[in-house]
Amino acid sequence: MDLLTAIQSNLLSPAVLFFLLGVFAAVSKSDLKFPDSLYTTLTIYLLTAIGFKGGVAIHEAGIGAVWLPALAAMALGGIIPVWTYPMLRKLGKFSVADAGAIAAHYGSVSAVTFIAATNFLKSIHEPFESYASAFLAVMESPAIIVGVMLGKGALGGGKFSLSDAGVRHALRDAVLGKGVLLLIGAMVIGSLCGKRGMASVEGFFVTPFQGVLALFLLEMGMVAGRRLGDLKKVGIFLLVFGVTAPLVHGLAGVLLGGWVGLSVGGATLLGVLAASASYIAAPAAVRLSVPEANPTYSLTAALAITFPFNISLGIPLFFEAAKLLNA
Amino acid sequence: MNLHPMKLVTIICEAVLEERIVEVLHECGAHGHTAFDVRGSGRQGARSADLVESSNVQIEVIAKPAVAENLLQRLHLNFFQDYAMVAYESEVQVMRPEKF
Repeated sequence: MDLLTAIQSNLLSPAVLFFLLGVFAAVSKSDLKFPDSLYTTLTIYLLTAIGFKGGVAIHEAGIGAVWLPALAAMALGGIIPVWTYPMLRKLGKFSVADAGAIAAHYGSVSAVTFIAATNFLKSIHEPFESYASAFLAVMESPAIIVGVMLGKGALGGGKFSLSDAGVRHALRDAVLGKGVLLLIGAMVIGSLCGKRGMASVEGFFVTPFQGVLALFLLEMGMVAGRRLGDLKKVGIFLLVFGVTAPLVHGLAGVLLGGWVGLSVGGATLLGVLAASASYIAAPAAVRLSVPEANPTYSLTAALAITFPFNISLGIPLFFEAAKLLNA
Repeated sequence: MNLHPMKLVTIICEAVLEERIVEVLHECGAHGHTAFDVRGSGRQGARSADLVESSNVQIEVIAKPAVAENLLQRLHLNFFQDYAMVAYESEVQVMRPEKF
């Protein structure tokens, strides 16, 4: 399969098409609106389901197979802000706070982008390590911690301090926020229960999963669509950054994945995770701890540029790259 | 009916701040609060309430005048500069002043 077929098969998936429908609903100012609690409910469902599935896979594969790639994923998440920060400072001319905030978003990850990538791999019958959701779980927090430290001016003898109430709340949210708690919690439960446990919850966590994901992406499309207007405010640099950062990080993830022994599918997933930017955990934590940063920059870049790029073109690109590099 | 004057402090701010505000109001000596999710717009733009980052919360607390003033001072000092926030006090009459 070549790149064009891969892109085409990705674009014609329910997930991507429902996302486009959501964007259209927002842009056309339709009265479609999800009840607030539904968005949260769908998030909880998706995180629990992939956490549990990942846990069962860890039970099958054994923790010995998981720790090295998981450690590599974690390190990659923590390192991405370290080099995006100076780029944003020097080339983008962003303030310390804004550069740290954007770096935190780009080092952290998007669960839905990851799920969309696993869907893509399944649709083209490409095998991958099912325990890859462990990478998602460990990549969420490190970048937020590093980005917040950078944004508080830790490099320039700034005011990063644990006695700051905002920083304390943010770090607790980053390490024990609902995303990490649900993912890791469900993963531990899944790894304790194994295949037998899976059989008992399959009807709820596996069979309806694709439908729930489609609904969630419809909502994501609306959330992203409402922010398209902000694209004008963020400047040309961030528009370019929103596409090049995922490309560079994605390739780094794919390479690292091959290097620690992941399959082509697994390396694709690590690439997609590295390429993705957080729009749930990072915004809240950064807002609390680096209030001087303008959330319009990081959120618009993550949601209105990088997320649509990754779920449409990024995923098939990283898959082709994984095939080429790890063949 | 025996009514006693008290202050009602109303705070409308970014939802991410809820926990921190509740901490502050207890530190200032308030004994309780009511919070609800709200949406709207202001000087810092519309708050569409579709993500936590763009959601708003309204926190109400009834307190003695000195506590209310102390609370508004703290909000002014710690939050007004960096966050989208509106805070004001108004007169209310309560029946059981010892509750507040």
